[in-house]
Amino acid sequence: MAAAKSKVYKCLNPVGIEEPVDSHPLAPRLGKLDGKTIYISIGAGGEQDITIPLPQALQRAYPQVNWKVTRAAPHMTIAGSVALSPEEMKDADALIRGVVW
Amino acid sequence: MPTLSAYEKAGIPSVFIIYGDQDGCWREACRLNGIPGMRCVHASRTTPGVPDVDRMVPQMIDALMRPLTAEETKGGRYEPKNERIFFTGTLEDAEKVYHVTERVPTCQNAPIAVYGDGLPLRIPTEERVAEMLKGTSHKPDEIIRFQRDHRLGDRSVQEGNSGKQGDPVHYLPLRRTATVEKIAVIGVMAGCEPRHMPALLAMAESGGGCGDGRGRGGYCISGPYAREIEMNFDVEMFGPGNPANRSLGRASQLMWKNLGGNIPTVTNCDVFGGGLTNVFPENAEALPKGWAGLNEECGFDKKESLLVQVSGPGGGGRVSFSPGGYRAFQKSGHGGLARALGVKGQPGPHNILEYMMPGLWARSEGGITLFLLPEIAQQLADAGFESKDQIYEYVYKKSFMPLSEYRMHSWPDMRTNAWLGIERTSGKHWKELPDDYMVPACNDPFENCVIVTGGGEEQIMMGGGRTGGYDAAYSIDYWR
Repeated sequence: MAAAKSKVYKCLNPVGIEEPVDSHPLAPRLGKLDGKTIYISIGAGGEQDITIPLPQALQRAYPQVNWKVTRAAPHMTIAGSVALSPEEMKDADALIRGVVW
Repeated sequence: MPTLSAYEKAGIPSVFIIYGDQDGCWREACRLNGIPGMRCVHASRTTPGVPDVDRMVPQMIDALMRPLTAEETKGGRYEPKNERIFFTGTLEDAEKVYHVTERVPTCQNAPIAVYGDGLPLRIPTEERVAEMLKGTSHKPDEIIRFQRDHRLGDRSVQEGNSGKQGDPVHYLPLRRTATVEKIAVIGVMAGCEPRHMPALLAMAESGGGCGDGRGRGGYCISGPYAREIEMNFDVEMFGPGNPANRSLGRASQLMWKNLGGNIPTVTNCDVFGGGLTNVFPENAEALPKGWAGLNEECGFDKKESLLVQVSGPGGGGRVSFSPGGYRAFQKSGHGGLARALGVKGQPGPHNILEYMMPGLWARSEGGITLFLLPEIAQQLADAGFESKDQIYEYVYKKSFMPLSEYRMHSWPDMRTNAWLGIERTSGKHWKELPDDYMVPACNDPFENCVIVTGGGEEQIMMGGGRTGGYDAAYSIDYWR
């Protein structure tokens, strides 16, 4: 009985296999706002209580910025997770996206 | 998230609005997508929009302009260890290791099992796992891959899962992968037997009960395999007692934990969660003449065995009629059901669905899954439903309602993208349609599903429907 209790076993790992991840730094921040093009991407499924006043508040507070408002495709689709098209990425100096979940 | 991280990687400074309680999930998602410190601001769940936006606007601008910290400018590479042997020692000591919990501060400091589900586990010794592996011909080091193309839904694809034949299956939320041996390890821990391995591997191919990271617990086994492993087809098939039904259900949750990496509030932003849902069998022998089994509905032969993901079994959703009242309704047209349908005094068969449909979409949308006892399925067939497809079409047609009513629902605001898109049945813009235009609450007849199963007194259980076009069937035979 004592021998059985002290028997040593190799026990296997149930945790899934993790893949290596390369980490990247954040993009450099804006030095100034004047004349910059900043996209406001309204995420589908986001709270309208926030997404309706948000562009208005930003435009009011920072009129020197070239604000561009885009609306995402329907929620829970791949297209819905896209905040900027390849064309928009060319002239975007910055991005505000909400609500993400 | 893979898309959102692409903007920072492309040199576009970004800031995202999330909710504070989702911060842990956000950080994990950022780490996985290679931008560990993406900046965000927290919206309030309770402050009205205008003052909340006024509060957040300066924070957003700050996030776009504040110089980067040393930490934020760092790159690097995360190299996981992925060791096969997890612990060496006595069984008593192993139990302490496998049953360890961690306190999760954002979960009110509750202890949460690190490798288990909170219940005692069977320790996966090398010997036990080797025995479990005898239940399949597949090699232990084989990576779990899709054995045919699967449409898993955009939600899974966008979060990093993929449905193409030959691609490795990624388990959400943390997008890990698994080998056949890992699945055997989890099978041992859940209390499964070697003969359960083909079902466990099919479950692993389906995403292992992880869903989109918030868990997906419902599985039905269609085909002869369910009899082979002696599942409970009858009374209390969702209850305790049968080793196959229960241990397979438990294994799906352990896959979510160990393969998906589920930690409430840290990697998984669900709300209430769900209880342990047994895997259950379809009773194909009890199908009325002309009704297809789930395997046939999914394009397989009726002799083939499948694991089919099913939405919402095992919980509530029972339709409220008394078994005796149902019997009297069918036998001789007595009682409230007969009065409701205007068949008082007329013997059955009567269509019980006619009683169930009114009000079903009063505040909801989508298809339904009907769990029908054999006796009730036969009575529906006798009442005129010659196939399941006829039921799907019937339920779909019953789901139509005036647009004026549909607009009063909550989810369509989101699903129609604030009514900006095109209404499917008319091809017109939502805002062009008159109030009395009839729209379906259920998108497609095949969002509905019928499963003949169970036994006992006359009840019908309902669950959520299936997504139209969603391919949720996984061959068990492939994994034998």
